[in-house]
Amino acid sequence: MTDYIRPLQQLSRTDEPSFGGKSANLGELLAAEIPVPPGFAISADAFHAFVHAAGLEDRIASAMAGVSSSDVDAIGRASHAISEAMRFAPVPAALREQIAEHYAKLGENSPAVAVRSSAVGEDSQDATFAGQQETYLWVRGAEHVCDAVRDCWVSLYSSPAISYRARLGEAEQPPAMGVTVQLMVDAEASGVMFTCNPVTGDPSMVAINSSWGLGLAVVGGEVTPDDFLVSKVTGEVVREHIHPKGVQYIPDPAGNGAVRVAVDGDRREARSLEPADLERLVGVARRIERYFGCHQDIEWALPRGETEHVFVVQARPVTAVAKKPEKKPASAMSLIMSTFGAGPPKG
Amino acid sequence: MATTAPKAGAFPSPYEIDTPAGCEGWEEMYPYYALFDERRREIDENRFWFWNSMHFPMPMPAFDVICIDSPYQAVGAWQNRVFAVPPAMGIDYRCVNGYIYISGNPVTDPAKIAERAEFFQKRAGYYFQNWSELYGKWRAKMEALIRELGELQVPDLPEYEPDEVAFGDDRNTAFYEVLDAYPRALRLGDMMWQHHFEFLLLGYGAYGTFVEFCKGQLPDIPDQHIAQMVAGIDVLLFRPDAELRRLARLAIETGVDDAFEQGRSPSEIDAELAETEAGKSWLAELEKVKDPWFNMATGDGLYHYYRSWLDDPSIPYASLIGHISALNSGEQIDRPTDEIQRERDRLAGEYGALLDDDARASFNDLLNLSRTVFPYVEEHKFFCDYWFLTRWWNKIREFGALLERNGFLEDSEDVFQLSRYEVASALDELVLTWATGGLPLGPKHWPPIVARRKEILSKLGEWTPPPAIGVTPEAVTDPMTIMLWGVTTDRVQEWARQQSGGSVLNGAAASPGTVEGVARVVRSVDQIGDVRDGEILVCGSTSPAWAPIFSKIKATVTDVGGVMSHAAIVAREYGLPAVVGTGRATAAIRTGQTIRVDGSEGTVTLL
Repeated sequence: MTDYIRPLQQLSRTDEPSFGGKSANLGELLAAEIPVPPGFAISADAFHAFVHAAGLEDRIASAMAGVSSSDVDAIGRASHAISEAMRFAPVPAALREQIAEHYAKLGENSPAVAVRSSAVGEDSQDATFAGQQETYLWVRGAEHVCDAVRDCWVSLYSSPAISYRARLGEAEQPPAMGVTVQLMVDAEASGVMFTCNPVTGDPSMVAINSSWGLGLAVVGGEVTPDDFLVSKVTGEVVREHIHPKGVQYIPDPAGNGAVRVAVDGDRREARSLEPADLERLVGVARRIERYFGCHQDIEWALPRGETEHVFVVQARPVTAVAKKPEKKPASAMSLIMSTFGAGPPKG
Repeated sequence: MATTAPKAGAFPSPYEIDTPAGCEGWEEMYPYYALFDERRREIDENRFWFWNSMHFPMPMPAFDVICIDSPYQAVGAWQNRVFAVPPAMGIDYRCVNGYIYISGNPVTDPAKIAERAEFFQKRAGYYFQNWSELYGKWRAKMEALIRELGELQVPDLPEYEPDEVAFGDDRNTAFYEVLDAYPRALRLGDMMWQHHFEFLLLGYGAYGTFVEFCKGQLPDIPDQHIAQMVAGIDVLLFRPDAELRRLARLAIETGVDDAFEQGRSPSEIDAELAETEAGKSWLAELEKVKDPWFNMATGDGLYHYYRSWLDDPSIPYASLIGHISALNSGEQIDRPTDEIQRERDRLAGEYGALLDDDARASFNDLLNLSRTVFPYVEEHKFFCDYWFLTRWWNKIREFGALLERNGFLEDSEDVFQLSRYEVASALDELVLTWATGGLPLGPKHWPPIVARRKEILSKLGEWTPPPAIGVTPEAVTDPMTIMLWGVTTDRVQEWARQQSGGSVLNGAAASPGTVEGVARVVRSVDQIGDVRDGEILVCGSTSPAWAPIFSKIKATVTDVGGVMSHAAIVAREYGLPAVVGTGRATAAIRTGQTIRVDGSEGTVTLL
């Protein structure tokens, strides 16, 4: 049977069409020796095999026929019909076995993993809009992993995802999406960082957002994170704002999944990153930027109870940066002349 | 000041400011043209004027007005008539209750601006292209001028002229010598100011362009990093303190360091040193250092009372005591020049590497040019403001002494209470009555005037001038005002908001870090001695000559100045938080008050 799964460290940029951008990027990060938690990638073909094995192709095609982006009700109906059908369709046995096999290699005692969609294609940069941003945290046990993988697939037929594809005129083409399964870091703090200041476009800064617990709170915008601006050149913290952080996600004590809990007492107001943490994050950010040669938006996690490692769980090119005013290249002398009002107007 | 559509309200009209009680007649100390006069009210009332507290934080003594006239004559001549800076002519000043307000004269006609741009490009271009050579010549001119000042004799008035006058050739009588020497002294001062401004605009402009460029490309770059990339390693201004550090080490090596006990005066220390051979040879070494390195001023030398270290050694001695005690407790006191050099080159390399190719080329060009001009930006202060000016004030003191010996003044220092024209007039009467043997009126005429003016100045010193008067401009566009005083549109709007009071002062974030502490408001240099360890210095502005107290204080706050101001540079050198250009710190903060200085955000909070 076809090999639907590959360990992350065997992937590179060129595998993006089969495994999606997220998985391919993690493979690149591993090649760059960035600390990325181990994991495996499930190809887009696995999704097509699932649809085929469950005999869903016709049902999907008929539900999607004639769906237009303007018809919200029709989209809702299609989404409901397809999601319901997919949710009860079995993941093919061969694929289940492959998932279980790779999952077992990640550790003993049902290690916790994160299961995320890995968008394929030109628009993978716009994955947020495509509704291909499903993330299931702290998933334990091969059965639960399979369920989460299927849930990722189901998300392809959420109303926003259908609507997005309909707008692109692709409503009736079968969508493609990989899934990333990655060992989970029990994070003391986690967050996002940019290798430039996304607000001003300053390339000499690393902008870091951080909050307590697993990464969902920052990514989902559920807390106002601590906000740091750190100079790449000197490591100085140029600006910092420590905000009260009311909620965090932690592993569900019942064993599977993540739960949202209140942050108690002094920790609400406490800084979530110490100077040494910032230094390590900036070091990692610079290595990633150098490796990819462009600005990166990086999700990271600091493991609980240790102070040495920073784990990167995702990196992608920065898309939305404040544009610096387009300046024509100017000689030093003509710039000085402008200072004295003796040249072309500034800016 | 280039103002667009005047906006009324925030600042008082210059014509509606009350004279403080007991200061009636203050106007008589100043030239007629320095006052807000009814005959040009319509124009003057509709301009924006800001208090130049950077250069004139205290009410002006009558003689010191020459240090307003000459600099503005000189800066205007270069800016307006030589380089023809396209949108800005020179700077007008007016005096209100003894305080100096200034306002630039804009050029608004586009045709005129274009015409001036041609002059500017050609002439400024020539200076930039030949900077090092021209600056070398400039230093030679300044050194020659300082020598000439030293050689200028202020003659005495003898009972009988010596035989040479009767029997020799080409000898002048003392009346002529006095009347010749006084204007020559004034002219030497004018010459210094002419030299002072020859390079200043262009030097600040080149550096300012680099700062702007960095902020455009790297909007979050700390100002300190920009300064670090440019600042000189072997700047002349660091020499005096470097010599003090060397002398401190020498004192320890030769075992005379015990003399430098905290709390002793320079003369007590000298007396103890003179008792031993080792002490005597240390004093001999000190003598060698004094010329020229003790020609530092105790403040930016625009007032006569800013003496040099030669005249008032308490600052260098306090510094020696500090260095010796630091060395004896095992601290490093040397500027780590290798490290500073390495860091400067590393910063420049790393920032350059972050830019795209076109931007990097401009960055490197501007950086190199900034480094070329920077020695002048730093060093002209030593040559002009400190070395020349402290000696020049002493020369004027000699004329004061002549008037004192002849009863026209009670004290030679009182000469500074007369305007330069009044001094000329007093000298005229003095040589006249010396010649005729008649009864001089001067001894009856001048002392009461001097006494009254001292009283007025002391009362004016308690008055707090508003940061600006006249109309609030919608935008500050004058490049000189922005570059030299850091007075930007934002700053003016902040001042306007603050007119209604408030417990947070905003200024420029000049040196990063946040501290809380007790404020020490220092309004003039003779109060420096009051500053205690760990206090926060609050002042109009500072100069590198104040450097020794920077090792005592925790942070500094000034009324006026930008991130290029000397307070900012020195604070960064010492790693102290600094907020500059708050407009009213010395007015809003009282000594003893607890304040928080956030040098990263540029705020001062009164707690």
